[in-house]
Amino acid sequence: MTSPIAHAGHWAVTVAYFVPVVAFAAWLGITQWRERRRGRRKGGSG
Amino acid sequence: MIPFAHGLVGRADLPIPEWLFGWGAAMVLVVSFVALAVLWPEPRLQQEGWRPLPGGVGRVLASRPVEIVCAALGVFVLGLVVYTGLRGTQTPTANFAPTFIYVIFWLALVPASVLFGDVFRAFNPWRAIGRAIAWLARVAVRGELPAALAYPERLGHWPAVAGIFAFAVMELVASSGDRPENLAIATLVYSVATFIGMALYGVEGWIERGEAFSVYFNLFSRLSPIETRGGVVGLRRPLSGLPALRPLPGTVPLLAVMIGSVTFDGAAEAPFWTNIAPDIAQFFQNLGLSPQSALELTFLVGLIGAILLVYGFYRLGVLGAKSVGGGFTAARLARAFVHSLVPIALAYVAAHYLTLLLFQGQAVGFLASDPLGDGADLFGTADSQIDYGVIGASATWYWQVGFVVAGHVIALTLAHDRAIAIYDNAKLAVRSQYWMLAVMVGFTSLALWLLSLANA
Repeated sequence: MTSPIAHAGHWAVTVAYFVPVVAFAAWLGITQWRERRRGRRKGGSG
Repeated sequence: MIPFAHGLVGRADLPIPEWLFGWGAAMVLVVSFVALAVLWPEPRLQQEGWRPLPGGVGRVLASRPVEIVCAALGVFVLGLVVYTGLRGTQTPTANFAPTFIYVIFWLALVPASVLFGDVFRAFNPWRAIGRAIAWLARVAVRGELPAALAYPERLGHWPAVAGIFAFAVMELVASSGDRPENLAIATLVYSVATFIGMALYGVEGWIERGEAFSVYFNLFSRLSPIETRGGVVGLRRPLSGLPALRPLPGTVPLLAVMIGSVTFDGAAEAPFWTNIAPDIAQFFQNLGLSPQSALELTFLVGLIGAILLVYGFYRLGVLGAKSVGGGFTAARLARAFVHSLVPIALAYVAAHYLTLLLFQGQAVGFLASDPLGDGADLFGTADSQIDYGVIGASATWYWQVGFVVAGHVIALTLAHDRAIAIYDNAKLAVRSQYWMLAVMVGFTSLALWLLSLANA
């Protein structure tokens, strides 16, 4: 059986295609989290 | 599984790696998103602004003689496809029917619809036959026919979903889906189903909502600035045809089938699929299926998986848009933004099938001369050959990237315009579009990755 590492080049290229999606999803997640935290703080102070 | 090759040669002279084009495409989308948020504060596409073509040209183009000629041509080609499929050689590449159905009808009509409007409506053979029969029946009874049944609202676009899915199964799953005889029989079966639908719900009632190919090509034609209204061909504001689309039950699944089937066609060449497909097929064989049935079922599973993936991805974007507030249900948002999936479907079709259309489309030159594949030479072109030099590998890639980027920028524009039309708060509208941007970036990356596999 061939080790998965032997195909690392193929996997790396595939992953490279989806780096923008992962980066954007991460940014979106952080933005959502900050918005919610800001909302909770406003709710708490109000 | 049709044997036509999509991409034939590799690319060695690109200045940067292919995956870097994906990054560039994502950046173009982000920049477009920011530009739309700043420079597009009011809805501009919700009104079509339709006006007839000047000088009476619009009336001539949609006149009764032109209509009859187009309809007769459509009926003739339908008959030719069935005849050649049943009576001609059963070698798919030597018979007129497979190339006509899979390349000219299925692919070439897409750009034709985008450029010239709903041309399939004019050539639709089933509509032509249905209208002719209705006219003959009116003459025979010397009066009006009984009114057709009201089209059930719940049925929506679901018959079209079933039709397009069945076509995708024929093209991508059935091992003998390119056999001319099978295609002719499938055409006859579909014709009968269409005539039953038209008999029940009226010709136009069925054509507009239930007839799969009418709905399919009409969606693409909404990208065109050309539209026929009231028997007159006219022009409307570019991109304004899609916001006017009235989503019905089944519209979102229909778009998912359209995009998902192309996705599967590309993914079927990916190593992860070619690695797991034999294992899935073996599983089905162990259940008692023949090797061929097991393989077909495996591909059916893959096709359904790709469609569900696309559907799920869109639903995820919609749920994200819902989470920003505004008081909309997920179902309402899914319907509101579904029109933005049409340019994505176009981008997928145009990019993925570009070479198939340009190369195999030329085969019509010799197949028209020898439609049965029996050595005839009706127009003296039976010896013509496919010129594979019409487009190079690098040029193909650039065109494909261009289609993908343009399609997604248009999708983004349509979604943005709809968001600012339905949200009271401009800030909420933009925030809801973060999620649609995520969907677009995802579809763009997926498209370019699939293309890189298909062309490898």
